Formats: sequence, C-alpha cells, structure tokens
Amino acid sequence: MAEVRLNNLTKRFGSVTVIPELDLTVPDGSFTVLVGPSGCGKSTLLRIIAGLETPTEGSVEIGGADVTREEPSNRGISMVFQSYALYPHMTVAQNIDFGLRLSKTPAAEREERVAEAARILSLEPLLDRKPGQLSGGQRQRVAIGRSIVRQPKVFLFDEPLSNLDAALRSQMRVELAQLHKSITTTMIYVTHDQVEAMTLADQIVVMNAGRIEQVGAPMELYDKPQSEFVAAFIGSPKMNLLPGKAVQHDEVETVGIRPEHIRADTEDGDWPGTATIVEHLGADTMAHVKADELGDLIVRLPGHTRLSAGDRVFLTPERENLHLFGKDGRRMELNV
Amino acid sequence: MPSTTDSQRMPLADRLRRGLSNGRITSVLILLPPALILFTLFVMLPLLESGYYAFFDWNGYGEPTDYVGLENFERIVGHSVFHTAAANTGKIIAVSLIVQMPFALLLALLIYRKTPTNAVFRLIFFLPYILAEVAAGLIWSFVFDGNYGVTASIAEAFGAESLFILADRDWAFVAILTVILWKYFGFHMMIYIAALQGVSNDQIEAARIEGATRLQVVRYVQIPAIKPAIAVSAFFAIIGALQVFDVIIPLTNGGPSNTTHTIVTYLYTFGLTRLNIGFGSAVGVILFAVAVTIAVFYQRVFMGRSES
Ligand SMILES: Nc1ncnc2c1ncn2[C@@H]1O[C@H](COP(=O)(O)OP(=O)(O)O)[C@@H](O)[C@H]1O
Ligand SMILES: [Mg+2]
Repeated sequence: MAEVRLNNLTKRFGSVTVIPELDLTVPDGSFTVLVGPSGCGKSTLLRIIAGLETPTEGSVEIGGADVTREEPSNRGISMVFQSYALYPHMTVAQNIDFGLRLSKTPAAEREERVAEAARILSLEPLLDRKPGQLSGGQRQRVAIGRSIVRQPKVFLFDEPLSNLDAALRSQMRVELAQLHKSITTTMIYVTHDQVEAMTLADQIVVMNAGRIEQVGAPMELYDKPQSEFVAAFIGSPKMNLLPGKAVQHDEVETVGIRPEHIRADTEDGDWPGTATIVEHLGADTMAHVKADELGDLIVRLPGHTRLSAGDRVFLTPERENLHLFGKDGRRMELNV
Repeated sequence: MPSTTDSQRMPLADRLRRGLSNGRITSVLILLPPALILFTLFVMLPLLESGYYAFFDWNGYGEPTDYVGLENFERIVGHSVFHTAAANTGKIIAVSLIVQMPFALLLALLIYRKTPTNAVFRLIFFLPYILAEVAAGLIWSFVFDGNYGVTASIAEAFGAESLFILADRDWAFVAILTVILWKYFGFHMMIYIAALQGVSNDQIEAARIEGATRLQVVRYVQIPAIKPAIAVSAFFAIIGALQVFDVIIPLTNGGPSNTTHTIVTYLYTFGLTRLNIGFGSAVGVILFAVAVTIAVFYQRVFMGRSES
C-alpha cells in the first residue's frame, strides 16, 4: 500500500506540451479516478506513473520513494490495459502466472496466488482456456487477475471497461468496487466516462488539456464545481449553462443550474418558456424547455408531471443551487 | 443458419440458377478461364512434357524417339556430382534455417520500430535482395578474387599467401553460402519486421511491467506472436534453397571440380548445356517431386493449424 505523489510534472512530446506542470497526491488506499475528455493527457499521466513514459520534468513518488528513474517492474505497480494485453498463446493460468514465473517465485506460492486470484475473480473454470476462447468480460477479469497476483502497491487501470458492452460494463463496475473493498490497495483509474468516475471513485481528478481542473470527492464535484468545465463535465443529464443575464450581476458570465434544481409551474415563474420535448422515464420526467430569454434547458420533474410538448411552462430555479462562473470560467461565491 | 441448410438441400439445377442470377457463377465463368488457360499452357503442359521427356535419350532436336525407360533416373542416382549437388542444396537449406533466419530475426528486432534511422538501415539491409542475382554474383566474384579482389588485399595486408577462395575445393561452397546468406537475409528480415510491427504494444509494455527483460519480451511475447510469419519465412527459405541457381553461375559455374553445384545448376550443366534434354528433364522431375512433397508436408504440419 502506498501513496502516490506527482511533483511539478511536465511532459512534452517534441514541441507539444501534453502536461504542463502538474501536482497531484493520490492518498494511500484510495480509489482515485482520472477523468476528462479524450486526448487530455490521462493515459500519458498514468503511463508516467507506471514508468512507461519518462516525465520531461518533475518527479514521481510511490510510497515515499522517488521512482522517477525506476523501471516499471520495480515500482510496485501493476497495470490493466484497455486492450487487456493478454498473451494469446498462453492459457489463462499462464497469463496470470506470467509475472510470477519471471520473478522466479517458488512454484507452490505461485500456484497458491493464482488460485486465490482465480477465486476472487471467479476464473476457476477458465484457467486452462486460451484468451481467444473467452468473452470480453472474462478477458478483462484475467487481465485484472494478472495484476492481482503481483500484489502491487498501486493498481493502474487505463479505460479498462471501454471495450465492453453497456450491461457488462455496469456489472464490471460493481465488481471493481468490490475488489477495491476487499484488497484496499491504492487504485488509479483512468476513464473518459464521468458515470464510471462518479460511481467508483472516492477521489476524482478532473483533467482538461493536461491540467487538473479540480480534485475532490464525487459529491463535492457535483455540488461545488470549481469551474465551468467541471460543471459541464460531471453529472448526467448535464448541468444547464445559461448566459449571465439569468441573474442580475455584472461579473457573472455563466449561470449553471442542474436539471433537478428547477421547479416548473404552468402559471407563474421566473423564466417563462415552451416545452419542446417531454420524456417520461417512469420515476422522472425529463422536459426540454426553450426559455424565452435564456435558450434551451433540461428540467427534471416528478414522474407523473402532466406536461406535453408545446405547453407553456414557467421555470423557477432554486436560488441556493445556482452555480455562478466569471469570465475566467472559475466559480464565484456570490449571493444573488 | 437456415439459409445455408436450404442451399445445401437444393437440387443442383436450382443452385446453379440461383448462382447465375446473383452473378457469382457468372463471374467465376468469366474470370476463371484466362487464368486456367495460362496455367495450363505455361505450367501444366511443360511439366507434363518434361515428365515425358525424362524417359527418352533426347538432345532437344526433332521428336524424342529414343525411349530409354528409367535409365536417366538410374544415371542421376549413380552420379557422384548429383550427390554433391543434393548435399549442397541440403547445406543451403540448413544454413538458411539455422544461420540466416536467426540473423534476419535479430536484425528485424533491432530495427522494426518506425524511426528515420531504422528506415535507412532497413533499406541498406534490403538492398542485396533487390539486386539482380547475376550482378550480386559479379560483385562477389570481385570480392573473392585472389589477384586484385578484396580478399587479396586483406591477405596481402596480413602478409599471407594470396587466396583463391572460389577456386578452392574446401572454401568455394562456403563462399557461396555466404553470398546466399547476404543476398536473401533482407527478405526474411522484412517479413519479420512487418510481423513485429503488428505485435500489440500493450502486450510488450504489460510484459515490461511484469518484470520481463528485453530478451524475455522477445522470447515470451514477440516470437510467439510472429510464429506464423516465421513459418512462412522458413517455407520460402526451403523452397528458395531448392532453386538456387543464378548466384552460382557467375561465381563458380559449379566448379572447382563440380564441387559447388546445386540441383538446379546440375540440371542446367548436365542437362541443358550438354544437350541431354531427357536427362535434364529427369532431374527436373526429381526436383519437382521433392519440392511438392516438402510443400505439402510443410503446409500440413506447420501452417495448417492456426491458434486463435
Ligand atoms: N508517444 C506520443 N507521441 C506524441 N504525442 C503523444 C504521444 N502519446 C500521446 N500523445 C499526445 O498526447 C495527448 C494526450 O494523449 P493521451 O494521454 O493518450 O490522452 P487521453 O488518454 O486523455 O485520451 C494527445 O494529444 C496525444 O496525441
Ligand atoms: Mg487514453
């Protein structure tokens, strides 16, 4: 188990700066998710932690030791790739066993550890198969199994669920959460999917163009996004972002309000508009409203709300749940 | 799928009609004959003809009339030069498999990554293969020349007696093996490079994380991943070795004392240049039989099964 610290990290590929000066602490035993749009440098950061890339400047510490110049295999990490990176010519057992064989671990211990990993991941019936004979979810579990047997101090995951279908993805998400509960090792998990980030993390790191926008617990990011970018990125459906004129304040450039923090009425309210699409989802009704002054909004209403497309609606935001952002895109704490 | 079983149960006439209407059979009828005719005219007929000539004592002029049965084959089997030629062909196969392929693989592993320097090395290593065989032979005959060649200069520099390698019964064929190795390793190297570039980088990095050294990555990840390419390259090496001809003619022409013949130069020298077309045909039949046997056997054993 170990804390991971990145100090003053910079990464350039030739003349392109992918990560400009970044500091981050991943607490011991945490499940930290790096989330951000594609190409923002998440994989690069993870690969620097793994030792597969060297930082242009700055240092990487794992468990208090500076490992910036250390080989990947000496860092006490393991990594699960999006492509699984299994060896097609080896059986499941040999794949899991690979690192232990290389490190000349005694046969008895190897067998024990492989059996333990297979038990945790329900891979026992598959140990003699080749990866080609497994489904996507099973391959993913083998890749995780290969990570577990090394008993690393830090687990690294690079978009491990991206190649799975939706149903399998949510199932694997639960399994990963359980895995973290049972082995309590530090995990750093990269994804572009904010739902994965919200459900898995106890610390989320939102990245944008190589920079960290905000670090915090999922609900912290949800309740108090520190920038417009985070506000727009975290939450589904997305937060409504409206022009500053929605509130009477000169410095406010953008006003954010989540769909569930808006009340709708047929007679009276602050923002008059017309419903364009109404989706009845059962428990909720999602209404798309074109507000006369402010443009399009999404509103989350109770399941049995009587509303149909073309109806006039009057919207009223919950004042205490408005998010205000200045010209620089940063959060402003104001009373309006 | 129900549609497949349907089409299997359908009477032939119906199947043919359906095939015609969806254009598949039509395209086969149009596209197959040219290839078939060319193959028959220029491959099958000459083969069958030489199979026929092999039973005659015939100088290539007029009709073969002098039927001799298996006499040509008996003469070949009893001819000591043929034994040497067959052994030399065997040596070429052995050197190709044991020396050339590992050497090509080593170079491929060094330069398979896509960098500008590697591109230059790739071109340099591939040059001998592009060069015409005869030109290569001439270049090397200069290198090996005992009077004014490179070996002569080296021998002189060491104050040694000047060497005539290509005229030396012990060393001439070693020189030829060297030239063959030099000429064709680039071809095998290219096959390996293409295959190595297809190996997933994630697999290699995963192995590095697991603690594999560079050599272990090669042994446990890269070589297993390019096994099919190695099988193909070995196949080409063997079939190519059976056909070695144009490297030898300009270098030694089979000499000294017929010690550097291969089966094909043997055929050429004792069949064609001496106007024993029947005899040459018989050598050709033997060579063809060996090649086909090896090809079929090899495909069955090494290239048939594919691990998925
Ligand atoms: N080896 C490399 N050479 C040059 N540019 C790279 C390399 N690896 C990544 N990049 C660039 O760095 C940026 C971030 O990539 P990456 O870390 O893979 O993003 P993410 O994982 O967040 O989608 C991209 O613009 C990508 O093109
Ligand atoms: Mg990525």
